Amino acid sequence: MRGVEIRNREGSASLARPHGEEPPDPSLAVCARGLSKIYRHPWTLKQTPALEDLDLEVRRGEVFGYLGPNGAGKTTTLKLLAGLLRPTRGRAWLLGLPIAGEPSRRRLGFLPEQPYFYDYLNGLELLELAGRLSGLQAHEACQRAKHWLGRVGLGDRPRLVLRKYSKGMLQRLGLAATLLHEPELVILDEPMSGLDPFGRREVREIIQEQRELGVSVMFSSHILPDVEMLCDRVGIVLGGRLIRTATVGELMGEGRCSVEIRCIGTPLLETPPRWRAHLSRVEHPEGTAFVLADAGLVDEVVGWLHSNGVRLRAITPQRATLEELFMAAAHEAPAVPGVRSA
Amino acid sequence: MTAYLIARNTFREATRDRVLGGVVAAGVVLLLATQLLSPLVLGEGRRLTVDLGLSGISVLGFLVVLMVGTSLVAKEIEKRTIYNLLSRPISRHAYLIGKWGGLSATLWVVAASLGFALWLVLAARGSAGHGPAVLEATYLTALELTVVTAVAVLFSAVSTPMLSALYTVGVYAVGQWSYDLRALASQFPPTLGNLLKAAANLVPNLPLFNMRTLAADGHTTSLLHLGVASAYAALYCTAALCLATAAFEKRDFK
Repeated sequence: MRGVEIRNREGSASLARPHGEEPPDPSLAVCARGLSKIYRHPWTLKQTPALEDLDLEVRRGEVFGYLGPNGAGKTTTLKLLAGLLRPTRGRAWLLGLPIAGEPSRRRLGFLPEQPYFYDYLNGLELLELAGRLSGLQAHEACQRAKHWLGRVGLGDRPRLVLRKYSKGMLQRLGLAATLLHEPELVILDEPMSGLDPFGRREVREIIQEQRELGVSVMFSSHILPDVEMLCDRVGIVLGGRLIRTATVGELMGEGRCSVEIRCIGTPLLETPPRWRAHLSRVEHPEGTAFVLADAGLVDEVVGWLHSNGVRLRAITPQRATLEELFMAAAHEAPAVPGVRSA
Repeated sequence: MTAYLIARNTFREATRDRVLGGVVAAGVVLLLATQLLSPLVLGEGRRLTVDLGLSGISVLGFLVVLMVGTSLVAKEIEKRTIYNLLSRPISRHAYLIGKWGGLSATLWVVAASLGFALWLVLAARGSAGHGPAVLEATYLTALELTVVTAVAVLFSAVSTPMLSALYTVGVYAVGQWSYDLRALASQFPPTLGNLLKAAANLVPNLPLFNMRTLAADGHTTSLLHLGVASAYAALYCTAALCLATAAFEKRDFK
């Protein structure tokens, strides 16, 4: 595993180097050092922190999921990286270039949450404009616009004006506009929102395709099964602070692993007292399921069931889902009052 | 290049807006109305046509600035379409210049179309010789609208569409009376007088772009006047756009 793990103030490791004093590791797609955003009310001057001292590293070629509840600071982070918000403190680099200048956005594809487009343009015109603004020549922009319009399933009506597009169609068009110029880093804010299951699958496929092409992808999402399916690593942000980052495997490995044993013919069987804390029993019409909280006891329990003449139908390991782990992390994190997102 | 692309898109946006079609139609109706009124003004029909025609270009152009220009940037922020632009390798000053350039180009097209329609009407009345005067007056009116657009973009970059419309109307009105404001300043005690003079110098000197009276008589203006007006418009637009960029550079798009 290359690079340095993400650090945060609450995390186990902390960065010894000062924020943003030296250029970042060139193997990083995203690097943030002490990145903070504090909003100040223009009249009362009351300060509202939206993001505090974010230290973040996303490696080139990886898919990074950025998780957090509403108002946690996900969108603020992504907008800071895309240059739509100016940081109050700290620095960040995209592909080794500081976010303050437009060169950092030359190889970036950014999809905002619920993208809005000029409704007087049609799909083809919008993609051509997006391509030209990202530095493509007119001919190339035109060709890629046609290709991507078809790729996201909108190629059959290229001249349809955007005011007639549905929410899902706009989302797919936004994705095409994000990827049209073949960026090296893609930042997507809730790319699955507003999409039906077919659209979600299509977006998942596109993200996977980008990963295979070596593109770094960072995206925020509420749809945890998608994150679980796509991401190499995830970061959990709460109350404007990054509280945890790990690979999906690490996170899942930390979750308690239970085992479900399905069997037939157990009506009179009584659970021995020594296992009562670990073994629960659920009756189903087609039999009985024993849920064993400690996977280490599975051999003993199976032996006991056999010795009592029980017929086993299935033994299934049950891992905690990312959703359960996320909820647990959210409950464990200290509350930060007054934090909101952009 | 990016400024040009944004300008082209702004031009496309403005020309596809129904407001523009309405404005051009209103201009043509105004020109036709002058022909109905001509018999009532006892031999001054040609003067009425030129005067009302050129005033129409100025007023209708200003309406376009108000309806489109004052929400040019604010609407993009409100509708969040700006996210798709500024997350690309586009500097904020290029974005503002593009917006201003696109709308200005639209106004030049409107002014040229209405100016040409005015010349056609005059030619039909046997006054085709007024062509050069109408051309110069239309050029100056388009310059005036370009300057007002820069002011509208400045306000639009820092304020809401409603407020920027109000501010633009204010600057336009004071700008039209900037000569009177200077004359008025001399009537007041020095402190207040200097303040009024400063205000008169700050707002655009719009009477510089007004040669309607000359054109109504078929007279052309001097090359010096045209040159000074062009240079002043360039300078004023540059200053307004620099101010707009300075304010816009630090702006957050939540």
